[in-house]
Amino acid sequence: MGKHIKILEFALSSLWRRKYKNLGIIMVFTLIVMTLSSILLLTYSFKREAFAILKGAPELIIQKIRAGRHDFIPLSYTKKIREVPGVGKVIPRLWGYYYDISTGGNYTVLGTFRGIKNSINVLKGKFIRHGESGVCVIGKGISQARFAEIGDRIPIKGADGKFHSFRIKGIFGADSNIITNDLIIINPEDFKSLFGIENNIFTDIVVQVYNPSEINNVAARIKALFPDTRPITKKEILRTYDTLFDWRSGLVLTMFAGALLAFVILAWDKATAMNAEEKKEIGILKAIGWETSDIMELKFWEGFVISSLSFLTGLIGGYIHIFFFGASIFSPALKGWSVIYPDFHLMPYINPYQIAVLLFLTVIPYMAATIVPSWKASITDPDVIMRG
Amino acid sequence: MNTIIKTENVTKVLNRGRPNEVRPVRDVSMEISKGETVVLKGPSGSGKTSLLSLVGCMNRPTSGKIIVKGKDVAKLPERFLNLIRRNTFGFIFQQLNLINGISVKENIMLPLYPTGSGFPELKKRAENIMDKLGITHRKHFPVQGLSGGEQQRVAIARALINNPDIILADEPTAHLDTKLSGDLINIMKLLKEEGKTIVIATHDPLIYERDFIDRMIEMRDGKII
Repeated sequence: MGKHIKILEFALSSLWRRKYKNLGIIMVFTLIVMTLSSILLLTYSFKREAFAILKGAPELIIQKIRAGRHDFIPLSYTKKIREVPGVGKVIPRLWGYYYDISTGGNYTVLGTFRGIKNSINVLKGKFIRHGESGVCVIGKGISQARFAEIGDRIPIKGADGKFHSFRIKGIFGADSNIITNDLIIINPEDFKSLFGIENNIFTDIVVQVYNPSEINNVAARIKALFPDTRPITKKEILRTYDTLFDWRSGLVLTMFAGALLAFVILAWDKATAMNAEEKKEIGILKAIGWETSDIMELKFWEGFVISSLSFLTGLIGGYIHIFFFGASIFSPALKGWSVIYPDFHLMPYINPYQIAVLLFLTVIPYMAATIVPSWKASITDPDVIMRG
Repeated sequence: MNTIIKTENVTKVLNRGRPNEVRPVRDVSMEISKGETVVLKGPSGSGKTSLLSLVGCMNRPTSGKIIVKGKDVAKLPERFLNLIRRNTFGFIFQQLNLINGISVKENIMLPLYPTGSGFPELKKRAENIMDKLGITHRKHFPVQGLSGGEQQRVAIARALINNPDIILADEPTAHLDTKLSGDLINIMKLLKEEGKTIVIATHDPLIYERDFIDRMIEMRDGKII
């Protein structure tokens, strides 16, 4: 034990002797870990957030497809869908996108329907009562973009070219921002009037299925009944979110790949390029009786201290960046290119698997880059190393 | 007298088979007895340092036998050579080879770190040697801040910390003035009195003309003449 403590002590003193070089490596290494951990933490938190909110989303949605394009679905479809075995409630929905010239943002406008309060229950203020007209509930992003608060009126230009004014009755809280940030909920009759939609047609139909294991069968039956429809299961939506965030994190990784590569090369070069002084030191230690294993232990401690310190600092830095500073560096790319960026608070969570992957991708290569050249030097005769 | 070092037809070839092939040591056979003080004498490039390295297990011969305390070390695995270097030899290098940035005491204790000895034991041994060589007052100084003579003493202290039987010194006066060389010679005399076997590679008459030298082995072009 005394031997290992003395070698560790000497490793720490060696690091201190080359403090400027080691400080440079630690800074570069920390930056790499911080960048990578920020991307991983942010992507994972987005997914968790989205999945948590989508937990209450409908298990099955039916859309009508016309020439491959999403089209309005007639109310008559609901009657036949209700008759499909295993189907519970069938709720037609109205929703659509609205481009707001004043803010340059795209809003999602949704007509209320039965059960909506249960699926988005993070409301600040009050929700629209059944049949209540001329009022709306909006997302935090719209509230901020329009400088609108509860009680204010929000004008929206309708299909008839006139402005339809809605009094804000409630604002969704930050907890559901990833879903509700650009959302406006209004009465279905107001929706039809705003978008000029005829009676008895809807955007899509939400289908409740009693037995979750029957969702795919029910979807197949509906598809058989109405070949012009596209049943979308919740699993598909979740998968789409998963792919979307993976794609975005991949995009950010690609954006930073050049810079990261430069950092990695620099760190690698710093770690592997044993200068003459370091080689000579290994030769001296060998000459005075240190074994190859002692030198390996010394270099292991040196590499371990640098890499673990950098890894922890980078990880903590990434955590603070994501969960305390709202991922200010990467969020525009990862949230999407909307004018109204969701400003939400991510729940801090670290996935051990991702940390293990990060550790494997950063600490292990660095340790290898440090130890291998030292091992090569330490198996050489001391006289040869000292003479250079 | 007991033979402590014996070489039989030792040859070292560098860059073998290449145009720049050299033979710093050629067919050298010699014997050194326990307690003897021997000088390897010869001009630069005569092979003194290379022979010293081979004898001290810091390099391996291309052919021939090197017997240290009765064991042929020429073909021993690396880990045994490390142990022999640690337990049998104390090296005083021409360039001193101290580790800059750490203190005098740490430099001296360095060979003992892998032995697993407790810190009080390390400290006691280091302080005894520092006392003996008159460098105790410098024990906390970083070595690079010391004078040449003090650095030389630190190098000697480091060579002695393991209480080796054999001291190998390569051009120990190369960077010292006459006074400091005299001090070094006095230390060598003390070591001889303690019964150490000393092998000094040098071409400095200040050393080889002293009466404490038992024998001189003269070298030229890698051979004993």
